[in-house]
Amino acid sequence: MSTVGPSGGEPFSGLDESSVDATVLRILLGSQLRRLREAAGITPDRAGYEIRASRSKISRLENGRVKLKSRDVADLLTLYGVTEEGMRSKFLALVDQSNAPDWWTKYSDILPDWFETYLGLEAAAVTIRSFELQFVHGLFQTEDYVRAVARLRLKTAGADEIERRVAVRLKRQDLLNRPNPPRIWVVMDEAVLRRPVGGPTVMRAQFRRLIEVAELPHVTVQVVPFASGCHAGESGSFTVLRFAERDLPDVVYLEQLTGATYLDQRSDVEHYLEVVDELSSEALTPDETTSFIEQVARET
Amino acid sequence: MTTDEAPAPGAGGAGRPPFDTSVANQARIYDYLLGGKDNYAADRAAVDAVLKVAPVLGFSAKANRAFLGRAVRYLAAEAGVRQFLDIGTGIPTAGNTHQVAQAIAPESRVVYVDYDPVVLAHARALLSSHHAGATEYIDADLRDTDTILGRAARLLDFTQPVAVTLLMILHVIPDSDNPHAIVAKVMDALPSGSYLVVSHLGSELLDEEARQGFENIVNRMAQQQYIGRDHEEMARFYEGMDLVEPGLVRVDEWRPDAGTGEPGRSALWGAVGRKR
Repeated sequence: MSTVGPSGGEPFSGLDESSVDATVLRILLGSQLRRLREAAGITPDRAGYEIRASRSKISRLENGRVKLKSRDVADLLTLYGVTEEGMRSKFLALVDQSNAPDWWTKYSDILPDWFETYLGLEAAAVTIRSFELQFVHGLFQTEDYVRAVARLRLKTAGADEIERRVAVRLKRQDLLNRPNPPRIWVVMDEAVLRRPVGGPTVMRAQFRRLIEVAELPHVTVQVVPFASGCHAGESGSFTVLRFAERDLPDVVYLEQLTGATYLDQRSDVEHYLEVVDELSSEALTPDETTSFIEQVARET
Repeated sequence: MTTDEAPAPGAGGAGRPPFDTSVANQARIYDYLLGGKDNYAADRAAVDAVLKVAPVLGFSAKANRAFLGRAVRYLAAEAGVRQFLDIGTGIPTAGNTHQVAQAIAPESRVVYVDYDPVVLAHARALLSSHHAGATEYIDADLRDTDTILGRAARLLDFTQPVAVTLLMILHVIPDSDNPHAIVAKVMDALPSGSYLVVSHLGSELLDEEARQGFENIVNRMAQQQYIGRDHEEMARFYEGMDLVEPGLVRVDEWRPDAGTGEPGRSALWGAVGRKR
């Protein structure tokens, strides 16, 4: 960001340690490591060599995508010329803090790594903007809808595994009711309402739930009706996460069958921001959306 | 692209801006100046260029936002106003009109007006009212006073005082569209005891070099123009009204909060007036 100095003398500027959660802390520490590395004129390859890792590992580490190891960070700080003991111990203390376990750790066996990363980012965001082409947004799904989706995706899974997945998804929705919740702004295609996941009874309950969450002051739901023809969301579903820290770029999350892509280069992110801005201004307004969902519910 | 309401070409420079991220847009420029993240590369390039030739505009944007807060606080707390018509809403940030007003009087009703469809989408999503009051959003150009007044009258009671806020918006209206007549028409529809809050780029508050440089950049890179007006032209918006102390001053000189730095640096005129 142009208003922030390139290497900034103060290593923890804009970082209030007590209020920052583990994932954001990891991203902040990662971007600080990048600044220190660049200020020292050291290439990612050289930095990788120092900690017996690849260049791409350094990139993931600097983007906050992987957990930081104290020993690696200590070696990197030395390489970057950070020798002052006070600063080093403060940095390393923050590394420990960024490794605190999250609530989903106990579900690690059923959650792919990339989804755990998403849960951390989602919980850390101040604004969540999504475009949904196929399914109701995960934060708004009813238990029966979640179960129907889980059965669709895991035809061979046992009842026990299905139920654990349902539990994770519902636990994730605690986000909606926590103090100081994020702004959640979801634009969905009409197809989401028309696809009868779990059958009409499940869908009708899901519509009631959508109308209910849309009433929350921090939630906005908008539908792009079929009648509006082609729209800007041809790329499929995606989510843009925004963080309070001025220094942190928005992150775009794209989910695929076997993994997820995170984009945080500004030039990439801005394409998605543009699409979601355009979709939000083309879609029905929040009030119109509520009436629309009520009408679809009557037809279901 | 939004196609249902294509911009009216010509018409004295009137017409809403199409959603186009390849040119700088007033709402997003202001968002960037205030430290927001709802802006694009073209907006930031324009701002970075402007700040090189006229660095005071960075401070001025923040001073304008602070002026909005102090003016609305004054109107709600001291003048007892409970209805607001905020024309030229901009992208929501901290301390929006209804938040300031409803923090003092939760029953306050606020109508937001903007002609930028993306700004309106953000406003509808983010400017949710306190349950005791109400907010409404109108998609209209400031020049279309009939639409604004007609729609605003659905939420606001025009037999009771209304505060109209026109912050950093009149500079997009050229003299050929007669901005003074537009403001007069809006105020004419409102009862005695209503208020008008204006902030405006002051043509004599930038030195010649900064003004030239700024205009060049805006003409080249932005969707809207920024026409400066002087103290006398600004005063004419308040004809037949009484100015609230300290009168027509730079926005940062209008009832500054203690400890906010030395006032008198911004390049914007600001005033609050009461209709007789």
